[in-house]
Amino acid sequence: MAALLFSGCAGSYQWSKSHPAYKKAPYGELTVTGLQKAFVLTRTKWFANRLDFGDSTQIKATEFCAKAMEQEFRGGYGKIIVLSDSVLDNAPEESQKLDDRIFMKGKLPEQGVVVKAPDGTIPEQILLIHEVIVGTDLKRENFFDYALIHNESEEKREVKNISAVISYTLWDNIKQRPLFSAVDEIQHPVIKFGLTDLEQLMRQTVQQIRKNLYQGVGK
Amino acid sequence: MKLFSQFALITFMFVLAAHALLASGAHAKDIYFDSHWTLWQNADILIWTPDKEPPIDPKEFCLSLRRNNTGIGEPKCRLFGEWERDTVASRYASWLSSNMEPGLDAHYLKARHPAMMAKFQTLEDKIVLYIADKGNNLQVAIFDETSSEPKAAGTVTKKADKIALGDEIASALFDRHTKRRLTKEERLKMETEPDELYKESPTFRSWVGISAGYAQAQVPFTPDSWYRSHIKSRVGNYRVTRDSVSLWNFMDDSTPLFTLYAGGIWFGFIGGEIFYRYSNHDVKIDERDSVYEELDHWDFTQHEIGLNVMFSRTYAPIKWMDLHLFAFLGFQYSFYSEDIELKSSKKKPSKEYETRFKTEDPYKGALLGFGFQSVFLQHYGLSVRTGISSRGKDIYTEPSPDAAAEPTTIGASTVDWFISVGLEYHWTPFK
Repeated sequence: MAALLFSGCAGSYQWSKSHPAYKKAPYGELTVTGLQKAFVLTRTKWFANRLDFGDSTQIKATEFCAKAMEQEFRGGYGKIIVLSDSVLDNAPEESQKLDDRIFMKGKLPEQGVVVKAPDGTIPEQILLIHEVIVGTDLKRENFFDYALIHNESEEKREVKNISAVISYTLWDNIKQRPLFSAVDEIQHPVIKFGLTDLEQLMRQTVQQIRKNLYQGVGK
Repeated sequence: MKLFSQFALITFMFVLAAHALLASGAHAKDIYFDSHWTLWQNADILIWTPDKEPPIDPKEFCLSLRRNNTGIGEPKCRLFGEWERDTVASRYASWLSSNMEPGLDAHYLKARHPAMMAKFQTLEDKIVLYIADKGNNLQVAIFDETSSEPKAAGTVTKKADKIALGDEIASALFDRHTKRRLTKEERLKMETEPDELYKESPTFRSWVGISAGYAQAQVPFTPDSWYRSHIKSRVGNYRVTRDSVSLWNFMDDSTPLFTLYAGGIWFGFIGGEIFYRYSNHDVKIDERDSVYEELDHWDFTQHEIGLNVMFSRTYAPIKWMDLHLFAFLGFQYSFYSEDIELKSSKKKPSKEYETRFKTEDPYKGALLGFGFQSVFLQHYGLSVRTGISSRGKDIYTEPSPDAAAEPTTIGASTVDWFISVGLEYHWTPFK
């Protein structure tokens, strides 16, 4: 129901893009990369006041989120391979166009080069997580619509939701092409904020990604 | 007759069969897309393959091209060793081979590596023919300097005979009109030439002109019945007509028209024009009326001066011609000078002559129209314009005690249509 509401609200933008050759969503097995460096926490002060991380809220909260997300992925797929972020270190940053004004930036492996897992196997598909922005009451168009990104976002006194905006690409590692690219926005209502809420937010994020990966097939 | 129809039927069947043959022949090649890329005369063709051995022989392929396309001149073909030895290029080549599939547009096949894009940009008129072995088929694609995605892509059936294969590829991709390549000097000149689209319009452009045309009461594409009563009307007894609302009840409406004018326009958009128009109108006397026996001739010369506001839009369809389309709206004053003379034998005019109709001085009117000026070599203009103009007078005048005795004043509302062709001289007094 909430997803229906969201898709209704954001009807003016196209937030995902499928390659014509995207025929089958990953099932049972998934290779993920980007879980180390992709996380960013905004409104650190707000979080610092409510979490017991001392001076290093930014680092510890993002670590916590990454762990929670990995955990949720492990729950959703039988076999999870997490690749180090360094597999993409030499790749140039590229932008993928999702809509007239929506451009998604991220590193993609080079054409003609396959990414290998540490054990030497070649995963068929890799979920590249480009960026996860965690904050309060975030709207994805403020980050990805190039006409809006320079707008100063208003600082809201009252926090209704904690939110995550995540951009990711399902990569065909065999043929080196993006199968499915999307930007998702997840809102989780805050009643009495604690670490469990952050965990919950990550859980919802992974669920949203999985759902979109399925819905993107053949589109 | 019957024989003929049988012959026609057989011919028809034959054509059908030929088409079917051609269609089955087309299976040997399958072109996924082929956009408008330029095939140069005496083209430089670079054969690029990710495989060890190219499936065609460059020299034989050149001959195939000449057999297939007579307009191609003397093409040069060679293997593109530079790219075959290059890591980035060979990675893209193998990627292309695994990604080229029917249904995928060119933009799905774009080279993403910055170094590869740079390589495409430096091709400079050379055409790259990509050939990759794919089992029973060969993948073929065309690249040029204008883009980092293939301009054409498809497959052809693999053949052991290199000459036949060359012919196949030549007919699949190189069967199109050729263009002459620019020389180095021409290329340099093209680059330094200002873009016509960005040509600045002068701040102010002015002109003087003289035009000849034609005017009549009836506006084209309007019914005759609107004008019939005015045009058919005749003047009886020097002053009597059915009604006096239009001058065309008294005078001949269809006459030549001459104009002198001068104008100017700011930024090619808004401007003005001052003009003087001349035409001559005979009075339409009723010949049956014996009172005119004394009359030698009777006509009016129409002088008009006025001012137009005009709005214009400029196009440059050819390098040495500018086309200005414009619409104008203006007002004018019309003066009529009477030229009347009795026959020399007649010493004293009749009483009717003395009380003949008079025109107002001046009539006020408006005009409205559109046209174009085509200016050659920035100075010499040819202009065509058409529109409608009106002349009227204030109906409400001060009543005077002897109004009844005065001759009828006429022409409260006179409208005509005009068209004219003018010769103009244009110049830009300041930039």
